[in-house]
Amino acid sequence: MSFLGYPRLDGSVGTRNYVLVIPQGLIAKTIGDFVVGTRTIRTVDHGSGRTANDRARIARVLIGLGRNPNVASVIVHAASPGVGYPELTAERLANEIAASGKRVEIIDPAKDGGVYGAITKGMKLARMMVYEASKLRRVEVGDEHLCLGVKCGYSDTTSGIAGNPAIGYLFDKVVKAGGTAFFGETTEIIGAEHALAKRAVTPGVAQAILDAVAHREALAKSTGLDIRTINPIPANIKGGISSLEEKSLGAIHKAGTAPIQGVLQYAEKPKSKGLFFVDNWMGSYSIFVGYAAAGSNLVMFQLGGGGLTGRDLMEGSPAVVAPFLWCTGNPRTYAMARDNIDFYSGSVIESKEDPQAAGERLYKTVIDIASGTLSRSETLVYTEPIDLCLEEPRF
Amino acid sequence: MTAKRAILMHSKDNVATSVEEIQPGDPVQVSGGAESRALTATEAIPFGFKIALEEIPQGALIVKYGETIGKAGRTITKGTLVHVHNLEGTRARGDLERMGK
Repeated sequence: MSFLGYPRLDGSVGTRNYVLVIPQGLIAKTIGDFVVGTRTIRTVDHGSGRTANDRARIARVLIGLGRNPNVASVIVHAASPGVGYPELTAERLANEIAASGKRVEIIDPAKDGGVYGAITKGMKLARMMVYEASKLRRVEVGDEHLCLGVKCGYSDTTSGIAGNPAIGYLFDKVVKAGGTAFFGETTEIIGAEHALAKRAVTPGVAQAILDAVAHREALAKSTGLDIRTINPIPANIKGGISSLEEKSLGAIHKAGTAPIQGVLQYAEKPKSKGLFFVDNWMGSYSIFVGYAAAGSNLVMFQLGGGGLTGRDLMEGSPAVVAPFLWCTGNPRTYAMARDNIDFYSGSVIESKEDPQAAGERLYKTVIDIASGTLSRSETLVYTEPIDLCLEEPRF
Repeated sequence: MTAKRAILMHSKDNVATSVEEIQPGDPVQVSGGAESRALTATEAIPFGFKIALEEIPQGALIVKYGETIGKAGRTITKGTLVHVHNLEGTRARGDLERMGK
C-alpha cells in the first residue's frame, strides 16, 4: 500500500517532478521547447472578456497547476496574464503558488528586456530549476498521497460491465487507504443521481449533487432538443448505449462505493481526503486539467471504444503535470490500440476474472506509474490543446 | 449448438448485454451474479447490444443495472434487440418539453 514519490514542503507527494511555466503563450512555449522537464498549458483562454466567475476558474487552474504535487518549482511570466484583471496578474498567481513553499520566479518583458530578454532569463531560470529538481529522490510513501481523477469516454456497454467497475474497485481501495479520488461529468450522471445522492456524507452534499444535475438538465431541456441527439454521442450509440440514463448508470460504476465527501467546482481543491464529485463538463480537453489543478497526481481515461475504428495510435488527453492512463474493458478496443492501453479489463467480458480481480491489477499498474514507470501516452510528445471548462458568456 | 453469452447486471433487469455476436435463432445463456437463464434470440444482437429477456409492453420501463434506462417506444418481444429504435430516453427531453408534453 505504498508508492515511490517526491515529497513536497506542503506535505503532498508528487508522482512526477516538473518545472511549470505559466500562463500560456510564446514565452512559456519557447522556454519549454528548449528546456527538458518543463511543462506549460496550451489554451487560448487568458481571461479577456470573461466574467468574474470564469476569471476565477482560470486563476484556479493556473494556481492549482502550480501547487500540484508533481511540480517542483514554477516560472510565471507577466507578458499579458489576464490582460490586466487583478485576479490573473503574475504577482497574484506567483504569491498564491509560493504559499505552498515552492520556488516561484516571475519574468516580465517590461523589466527583463522585452520578450527576447524574458525568454532568455526564463530559459536560464528553467535550466537551473530542472537541475535542482533532479537532485530530489523518490521516497516510499503511503497511498493516502494518491489523488486520482477519472473520466470515462467513448463509452460503450463494456464500460459499465468491466472498465468502470475495475476503476471503482481502485477508487474504493485508494479512498480506504486515506487517499483522494475525483469523478464528475454532471451531464453523465443524469438518471443516476439518486444512487449517488444516497452515498453523500451529509444531506447538504446529497442536495448539492441533485442541484448540480437539476441545473444541467434544465440547461439541456432549454435547447428544445432530445438530449439523445447530443449525448450519448453517436460513438456511444454505435457501441450499444441506448439512452443518457443507460450511459450514466454505467458511468457511476467508476466511482466505486465509498461515501461522497462533497461536490467540487472545476479546478477546486478539496479541503479533506476521500471521494469527491466534481461538477464539470465531460470534455477530455478540459476535465483532466481541472483534476490536475485540484491536486490530482495521476489521471485516467476509461475508454469504451466500441464506436471507434482504426485508432491504433492515440494521443493522451491534456493533464499538463499529471500522468495520464488509458484503460479499457473492451477486447476489441484493446486489440485495436494495444500500444496505447495502460490497463485492460476486457478479461471481465471474456469471463476470465471478476471486476475485483481486474481492479486489483489496475491498482498495481497505478502504483507502478505513480512510482515513475511512464504511462503509454507519456512516451509521446504531443498532447491535445486545452479547452478550459468555463460556464458563462463572453462579452 | 453452443449457447451465446449475455450478461445480466441486476436481478430486476429485463434486458441483458450480449458479449458475443448473436445471430437470429441462436440459443443465448444469460448469466450475472447467482442468476442464469436461457432464451432464444429472434434477431441479431451485436456484441455490446441488449436483448429483451421478456415481452416489454409499449410504455413500460426498460431496466438495466436494476434502474430505469428508458421506456419502450413500442412493444418489444422477448429475444429481440433493444436499442434506440424501440427505447425512448426519459430524461433531459427538451423536445417533449418544447411540444408541451
